[in-house]
Amino acid sequence: MNPARNRVAASAIGIRLDHPDPTDRDRLASSTGGTRCGRLLLAVWLCVIVLGTPAAHAEAAAADPGRAGEEVEHSEAASDRHGCLRCHAMPTLAYRNPESGEIVDLSIDREGLAHSVHGELACIDCHRRSYRRYPHPDRPAPGDLDCIGCHEDDDQNLSRGWVDIDAEFKRSVHAVSDSPKAVGFSCHSCHDPHRFRPAAVGEPIAQIVRNHNEVCLSCHGKLIAPTNTSHDWLPNRDAHWASVRCVECHTPVADFANHEVLPAEKSEKNCVSCHSANPQLLARLYHFQSEEDIARSGLLAKAVFNEAYVVGMSKSPALDRLSLAIMGLMVLLLAAHGVGRYLVRRANRRG
Amino acid sequence: MNAFAKTLLTPKNARRLLMTVAVGLLVLFVLYKVVYPIVFDAYVGKSNAPLTYANSQPISEAELEAMATELSLSARRAAAEAIVGQDDNAFARRVKVEMLMNTQSFMREHEPTHIKYFRDASILQYEGPQTCLQCHATIKVRHHDGRTSEVDTLDDIVNSVHFKFQSDGGGGFSTYGYDGRQVNAEGSRPIPVGKINRACGIPGSFSWTGWAALVESRPESTHGEVELRSEGCGQCHIGGNYQPATEKMMPIGDVPDVAKEGIDCLICHSTEYDMNQRYVIRDHVGLRWNQDRTMRAALTVGRATTKNCLNCHQHNMGGDAYLHNEAAQALGKQHRRLLHTGAKRGNPFSPQDDVHAAAGLQCTDCHVPEGHKIPRGRMGVDLVANDLPDVEVSCVTCHSIAPHNRSEHKALLNGHLDRIACETCHIRDLQDNNVVLRDWVHPTWDAEEGIFTPTDVYRSGEVNKGFTFLWFNGNGTFLANALGNNPNGSTEYDPLMRQLARIDDPEIVAAVREKALELKKTYPDIDLDAYVEAATDPLSQLTPEQLDERRRMLDENLRAHMNDGQSRIYPFKLFNAMMYEDMGNQGPFGAMILPFDYATYYETGDTAASVKQAIRDPIVQRMYQEPFKLYMMDEFMAYFGVSGGWKTDYPLVDGKLKNVEPKWMRQMGSLMVNHGIQSVGRDCVECHSPSGILDYRALGYSQERAAELENLDIVENLRPAASLSATDGG
Repeated sequence: MNPARNRVAASAIGIRLDHPDPTDRDRLASSTGGTRCGRLLLAVWLCVIVLGTPAAHAEAAAADPGRAGEEVEHSEAASDRHGCLRCHAMPTLAYRNPESGEIVDLSIDREGLAHSVHGELACIDCHRRSYRRYPHPDRPAPGDLDCIGCHEDDDQNLSRGWVDIDAEFKRSVHAVSDSPKAVGFSCHSCHDPHRFRPAAVGEPIAQIVRNHNEVCLSCHGKLIAPTNTSHDWLPNRDAHWASVRCVECHTPVADFANHEVLPAEKSEKNCVSCHSANPQLLARLYHFQSEEDIARSGLLAKAVFNEAYVVGMSKSPALDRLSLAIMGLMVLLLAAHGVGRYLVRRANRRG
Repeated sequence: MNAFAKTLLTPKNARRLLMTVAVGLLVLFVLYKVVYPIVFDAYVGKSNAPLTYANSQPISEAELEAMATELSLSARRAAAEAIVGQDDNAFARRVKVEMLMNTQSFMREHEPTHIKYFRDASILQYEGPQTCLQCHATIKVRHHDGRTSEVDTLDDIVNSVHFKFQSDGGGGFSTYGYDGRQVNAEGSRPIPVGKINRACGIPGSFSWTGWAALVESRPESTHGEVELRSEGCGQCHIGGNYQPATEKMMPIGDVPDVAKEGIDCLICHSTEYDMNQRYVIRDHVGLRWNQDRTMRAALTVGRATTKNCLNCHQHNMGGDAYLHNEAAQALGKQHRRLLHTGAKRGNPFSPQDDVHAAAGLQCTDCHVPEGHKIPRGRMGVDLVANDLPDVEVSCVTCHSIAPHNRSEHKALLNGHLDRIACETCHIRDLQDNNVVLRDWVHPTWDAEEGIFTPTDVYRSGEVNKGFTFLWFNGNGTFLANALGNNPNGSTEYDPLMRQLARIDDPEIVAAVREKALELKKTYPDIDLDAYVEAATDPLSQLTPEQLDERRRMLDENLRAHMNDGQSRIYPFKLFNAMMYEDMGNQGPFGAMILPFDYATYYETGDTAASVKQAIRDPIVQRMYQEPFKLYMMDEFMAYFGVSGGWKTDYPLVDGKLKNVEPKWMRQMGSLMVNHGIQSVGRDCVECHSPSGILDYRALGYSQERAAELENLDIVENLRPAASLSATDGG
């Protein structure tokens, strides 16, 4: 395993080790264990604890010998980051590229990095050691900053493996295009590793859509200019842009290949792919909906509004409420009608 | 009631009603246009009269042609010499210049444009604004937001800071009173803000009382013979009247037409303007400033150039004694202007000392005018008026946020922009004669000039002596103290109790003591220790209660405005002065300072008599009366940090000063310095070393962070490279 990955795994376990230190517990045992009975009780109690948390205990035992080392590595990573961020956290760390005249931004947002998936890493885990000193090498060596190189073993935790992602990307228009603009396209063209944080289940869908589309629009911003007509065929264009990600249509609909970005002409134009009883969207975008969210509103939504047919149906809560109200009124009317007929029949019988 | 309405609406009565209204309006108009100005002049004790200038003489057509030829030749020669200036062979240069001088297109291009216009229109005499307005009654103005509009030229200039030196309503900078309120913010009672009503430590006077003075000097060289010298605020302001545009202070009323006729268009627009024509003259009404109204000046009008601006503005940048101040070489054909030898800022704008001037940039390239309104930028602490407070004037407008291109460490240098203003590194020092502490109360005899001059107790252009570094977010106080704070939100950064309120540097203290010793020879009453203490620790003049009140006001009223927006470290020129103060209007930041009468001051050195003379001026007397109190002085005092409103106890009773004491202002003022920019900035270790020029702890950094900034390992690696790039100008 790659050392960087190792540290991430270790720290993930470390978070779960949030109970009193075993040595403390021993001290507790020896001080309270005065009588035989007391010792027996303690043994039973310990058994309960051990049986109750077998996994935690096993992990604790496994991780324990490495803990001291891990802490050292942690603080080493922190001090390494501190060293680099002394300069790179300066928001105006930038220079003008002499060839293009463009300003190249070298600054890293301290907060963004801390909250990113790479926030715990040492900078030299990805950047070569020679970057530790200033002045730095002019450019990274080939093979540096290679995401797959670090991540190829991570497959077990992800719905899509890194190898799959790599393969998808290599099929994508970003990789195969002859356009001079696509030269040198890499993971970093879209994903800033100093900020990257995958969308989490439970995040508001609209937020996820916005974040994802921002990545695409950072290059394809022209498409949303008021004069651009490329998406005019799409009914309710702006509503679509606000509620679904570009990749829903611009990657093969059949699978989760989010990185296999298709050329415009091959992109999905079939409405039914989403607007059907078996919609792709539910599996893709809406898998970010948390169980709680679904439990809170989804059950009713599914039962009453048939969300599965048209995702979110009208997307207009007012309209949804109105139809619910009409339905409720209908039920009331039916009930009133039934009661009326019952009362009439009883009156007739008496008469 | 109904019947009454009916009778009123009969045709006859309706006509009568209309007549009454019309007559009423006419009466009001006459009252406003005729009676109000007379009453106002009488109230403030100012006078107006038609203005004449001896040098505004008609010339013959033959004279015009001769002048045209001469001016064309000299303009052409100047242009040709600028073009071939690079050629280092003198003979080759001469030949090339001669070739250009005889090139047809070159001749056409470099003839002053107005020669043709004046010839065609048969204009043979320059009579001031009325001559200009014949063609330029209106001008097209391009605004910073891209709008264009057509404005009345005279109106545009009359309402500009250059004429009235104050801003309307909310103009000026983001200035905060010590009471925590923004000056002239929306909803507050607007007061006129600018130099017009500000007795300032540097000029020592109000523009009202110090507009124009003739001083009888007795220079050594003439052995007691009196030479009249000119002095006063009017030397740098374009109004040619007997006083500043006082009328503009009022919510109604306008400057009289005769005063507008005194506007000096040519000082800004003529390349041949003769500063020797600028001196004080006396006529039957009073004293006023002469100006160059010759045809020679008029024939060379054009857009305002750097040279025009510097006619006045080198005075407040490089200073009057600055070697390359051209205007100061032409002091007047008679009544020569008095030079102010101590510099206000000491940061010259000249090819010798400023990289932009050396590159041939015009002032208006950065201060892009909109008609006659000229922007000063959005940041400033000096409470001086600003025509276009919303228009940005900044380095990054041209240089972008990545200005360094030559150095190997360009990215690192650019990285500093977020915290450090460009000026912090690119103004290494100010002129030596930059005044830091000025004592107006104990003047010194200047034998060469034959006048008493204020004593500059301490002058220095050195870093952390003549200027220091403060956090600045664009806000300033009512007495010109930069506001801002360390972005870490520090509560330790406390400029109004530390950097601006105390001088610890033993070298400065020693220099002040030496100067005080010297003064003591003339003024034996001076208590040496007390004098040095007051000058270097002005807070020592406050009582413990006043100190507590000051602390409270700083925390409650100013802290929030210090934390506003984004602060960066800027260099600020420091200044304090000892002046006479009206102790009845005192607060924890200072008291109302009283102006000096220049003639009395310079001639007799009797400073108390000079104050008495100045405050006898009717407008100062009005200031101490109820209408002015209600109109502006109460508000003025609130911003000044004086509680309880303006006390109208006139400080001159039976010919004696009452409740008036000489005091140093309770803190130093801080003036922004933005010119005198040097191409090569500071070296890294000038700041990043334990003995660096930035006192990180005083700037609100934590001990650990300060230690880190002082001992950057990286800087040692940079040193050779940084100095290498410095030698080639990187």
